[in-house]
Amino acid sequence: MTRPYVPWFLLAIALALAAVYLFPLYWMYVTSMKSGSEIFANPPTFWPVDPDMSIYPSVWVRRTMQTYLWNSVLIASGVTAITVILGTGCAYVLARYRSGWIDFGLFMILMLQVLPASVMITPLFVGFNQIGLLNLPRTAVVLAAAAKAMPFFVVLVRATFMSVPRELEEAALVDGNSRVGAFFSIVLPLARNGILVCAILTFMSSFGEYIYSKSIIQDGSMQPASVGLSGFLGPNSSDWNSIMAYSAIYVTPILAVFVLLQRRIVSGLTSGALK
Amino acid sequence: MARIFNSMRDGIGFDLILVGAAMVFLLALAGLPLVYNILMSFQQVDMFTLGELFRPLAGFTNYVAVVNAPEFWLVTRNTLIFVFASMAGQFVLGFSLALFFAQKFPGAATIRGLFLVSWVMPGLVVGAIWSWILAGDFGVLNTILKAMGIIEAPIFWKSDPNFSIWAVVIANIWLGLAFNMLLLSVGLAAIPRDLYEAAELDGANAFQRFWTITLPMMRSTIGAVLSLGLIGTLQQFDLFPALTEGGPANTSNVAGYWAWQMSFKLYDFAKGATISVMMFVLVLIASVVYVRSTRHEVRG
Repeated sequence: MTRPYVPWFLLAIALALAAVYLFPLYWMYVTSMKSGSEIFANPPTFWPVDPDMSIYPSVWVRRTMQTYLWNSVLIASGVTAITVILGTGCAYVLARYRSGWIDFGLFMILMLQVLPASVMITPLFVGFNQIGLLNLPRTAVVLAAAAKAMPFFVVLVRATFMSVPRELEEAALVDGNSRVGAFFSIVLPLARNGILVCAILTFMSSFGEYIYSKSIIQDGSMQPASVGLSGFLGPNSSDWNSIMAYSAIYVTPILAVFVLLQRRIVSGLTSGALK
Repeated sequence: MARIFNSMRDGIGFDLILVGAAMVFLLALAGLPLVYNILMSFQQVDMFTLGELFRPLAGFTNYVAVVNAPEFWLVTRNTLIFVFASMAGQFVLGFSLALFFAQKFPGAATIRGLFLVSWVMPGLVVGAIWSWILAGDFGVLNTILKAMGIIEAPIFWKSDPNFSIWAVVIANIWLGLAFNMLLLSVGLAAIPRDLYEAAELDGANAFQRFWTITLPMMRSTIGAVLSLGLIGTLQQFDLFPALTEGGPANTSNVAGYWAWQMSFKLYDFAKGATISVMMFVLVLIASVVYVRSTRHEVRG
């Protein structure tokens, strides 16, 4: 039934589909290498006439990207740290027991997962203002974004813990380990890969966090790269090669990490987590 | 005291600490704000009372003011278009791609993985790229459509009131497509192969196999994907400031962005909170559907 050329034909279609889908990314890189007049050529050129990378260092300096990216890294690291430390333990307990209370807890967490950030930002801003946390804007953003990221993390990591055989932990307890000992020396190492994948995903998504930072951080030297990008982006923007160069500098590290770990991330998600 | 400490190290206390720490954190930063939001929607909030907790009560005046706002129905209509068009596009395209990549050919898994890059892209950057692609005068999409003979004159996607909401929809479909495809692929992979073989022996054609095996077997996955799509679309924010800022004249404004504008552009926090509460009710309905569709997963 299978003719030998069918798989290759399908492969060709798959490559074409991927090319269409990834065109926006290609367009970002190509535009960033065009000159200021070439981006407004009509019809547009699909490959720059004279590829020029010199805009990258100039955008980096002109837009103080070093500060912005450093703030993004700080915020994303803070969010990831809080999420992993608090979320892992929570997920472990939710995976270990079965009862009405656990179902209720899981339901509450799922409910928190669905709250849009645009709904939460108004009360968070007013609340932070009242307790004076707006004076530490980056900390405020980290706390708010961690609360946003944690439910997703807990649901995914719980699935990882469910796949750790219960007998191994029980054997460790019989051998005289305390609960704390069994958790750290048996359960955590076995679930390490799943936790790592989820931590990387948390880091990546909070690296692009925008709405909380935009609303809470007023001081330009503390804003992350997403707010920096919004500074010269709007319905009437025209500085497209700089915008695309900025975007390229911003996302290339994430994309590189994702492509390198792609197989791991996808299998970590599909084995159990998303079933 | 020693007993409590012992239980913390070696008993139920350990579990309670682990789950309690996360719960306290979530309650403080997600539960409390939610309650506070509802409280604010019934108060008069202005720059003078911003720092107080007990402000003059306003009854339902905020709600009345929001519903009577001239843009209310426009924003409602836009929200509905945005949600349903995005979901339909993401689901149909995502399902088609998932079916396609379920075929056996070299490199299927790797190429499918490439699609997922859109999932880790910051929303604002996606908005920036699409803003450039959709630009009316020099955008590449108009050039391509014209070359294919689909349109005669360039479409001003972002500034034409008839198209502005669709500009955001297009970008959002691109952004959410990969996640839909991934979830549906997982569901497809879980269908036993021998069902198809048996159906093929019985002489069922490809369409009949899809209709009588794939769709019924995928029912719970489809339910989860659709409700996650609804939730994800209602959460979408970053594309709006990057593409249209809700304009022109609110023709691409949706509830989430409107609420933010009220609070952070007009500093009318009470109205921002009111719109948020109304939107939260919508999300609540969506999540009840979601939880029902994942119930078998929750119960294990």
